[in-house]
Amino acid sequence: MRTTGASPTVTMTRKDSGFASGDASTPIRIGVLYSRSGVTSAAEITQLQATMLAAEEINRAGGVCGREIELVCVDPQCVPRRYASLAEQLIVEHRARVIVGCYMSSTRKAVIPIVERHNALLFYATPYEGFEYSRNVIYTGAAPNQNTLPLAGFMLSQFGSRVSMIGSDYVCPYESNRVMSDLILERGGEKVDETYLALDAPWQSYLEAAQRIRQLAPDFIFSTVVGEGIPHLYRAFAHVGLDPYRMPIASHMTSEAEIAVMGSDLAEGHITSAAYFQSVGTAANQAAVARYQERFGAAQTTNMCWEAAYFQMHLLADAIRRVGSDDPALLLRVLPGLEYDAPQGRIRIDEHNNHTYLHPLIGRVNARGQFDVISRAPARVKADPYVVSHTPPAWTAAVPAELARAGGDR
Amino acid sequence: MKRATETPSILRDLRSLKVVVIHPQDQDGEELLAQLQRIGCEVQMFWPQLECLPPDTGLVLMAMRPETLGTSFPWLGTNTSPPVIPVVTYENPITIEAVLRLNAFATIPSPVRSFGLLTAIAVALTQCKVSRARERYIERLEQKQAKLRVIQQAKQIVMNARKVSEEEAYQLLRSQAMVKREQIETIASEIVKAHETLSF
Repeated sequence: MRTTGASPTVTMTRKDSGFASGDASTPIRIGVLYSRSGVTSAAEITQLQATMLAAEEINRAGGVCGREIELVCVDPQCVPRRYASLAEQLIVEHRARVIVGCYMSSTRKAVIPIVERHNALLFYATPYEGFEYSRNVIYTGAAPNQNTLPLAGFMLSQFGSRVSMIGSDYVCPYESNRVMSDLILERGGEKVDETYLALDAPWQSYLEAAQRIRQLAPDFIFSTVVGEGIPHLYRAFAHVGLDPYRMPIASHMTSEAEIAVMGSDLAEGHITSAAYFQSVGTAANQAAVARYQERFGAAQTTNMCWEAAYFQMHLLADAIRRVGSDDPALLLRVLPGLEYDAPQGRIRIDEHNNHTYLHPLIGRVNARGQFDVISRAPARVKADPYVVSHTPPAWTAAVPAELARAGGDR
Repeated sequence: MKRATETPSILRDLRSLKVVVIHPQDQDGEELLAQLQRIGCEVQMFWPQLECLPPDTGLVLMAMRPETLGTSFPWLGTNTSPPVIPVVTYENPITIEAVLRLNAFATIPSPVRSFGLLTAIAVALTQCKVSRARERYIERLEQKQAKLRVIQQAKQIVMNARKVSEEEAYQLLRSQAMVKREQIETIASEIVKAHETLSF
């Protein structure tokens, strides 16, 4: 994965005492908190590049209210307290009122007290475990009812309810597994194994887990592994000779970014639930992917986190245009209810919970490392971050079994 | 390493929880209402008075303000009253004393933030349930203790009157209870009463 160089609109950690006032000649500064190194940097680098692409598009079209968007990019290196101190630096020293970024929940939790104290605004573009609302955060990634729930409904009805769970050892996997466990128990299914591995667990740990899974022979594997562990898991799975078309790994975090790292041969046949895949056929997506590859290289792939990072910048620009300011108090008057034609389709910020209506999909990785969509929600789905008891949506059970088992073009 | 366990029933039932909020419609009130609705509870707001609770109220959130400190709520403090979470704006002794009188298990500080409400609700509901169960248990223990005391007194009376051992006195009480198809403590209590009547 290549890292980005500075571009004309991007300030890389340049300290500056100037004011970002309402003056038409001064740029609007947006703080950017994505890691360029560390355990989840593969996805975060795509979010950084998506943010740069969107900012450049906005600026090429004349900026907002005649002002240019200026990105102030800092590198928190996947360390939660660095996200906190850099967020404060962006607000206090760089005078940014709006920050885009954070990935793991621990990093978002570290930044929330900072944005609340300074009444700044954080745009968070990653799926997470729910049970949160801060008036200073706009959540553009999926809540569990938009990814875990459809995935659970789909897998339990198409593959069976003997489930092996493997995840990274932190809060989001615990919560996803709670949702999955409840649904398994309701069906009289069985949780045959539940393993949590450290974020920096070595290959050997994944190999041992894969060997155990092979012995247990579950109907499918529910993975909540994030970051660098994902390629390890899929490699270990192939290494012990398991067949993804019979016993797939189902995940809501494995995206094109991790597939690019592991290679499509290891990923083919496995299943992911997300509100966006690079293969989505909308005109908005095809155009955005083309511009992205032109800007960052033809080999670059996009993914669910990329897409949320991309559309949230356009949403933000639209909100700034409407109120003529980057003052969070004013932006929060127009962001709830705001809609945008994102690459995944038309999205909307909910009026009451600051989360986003999204279009849940179930996809299976094909030989090219892209996702074939094998099931989709009939309409966009409201985020319900505080729902405790889940009922899987009907569309996840309505898939013809041959399609679910065989994949889109097999 | 943590294992996902079954979700606590208190959390599962939140979407059918009926919450009464006794709070003015200021910024705190709006924040409370909005967060309760995000959580998915059924909410009704009142201020400052509420003579009787709507049926099936499962939880009350109450602003601890001068208006409520001076108001009496007849539905408070009974053994069927729902738990109350005070919303605390002042930390002076009078307000804290009022909070203590509510037997609260959790409080919400003002200015109200969305964060913390869900945990406070879960703690208040759980602890209220635990505390009710403990009260019922203590009540049963007390009743049992009272019965044992009466049986002990009756045994003593029978031992003195019939010159028998404690075990024989107990067996006499027991056989009387069986003949009369009564509980042993009923027989014991009749004997104690009769003895008191005669001991003038």
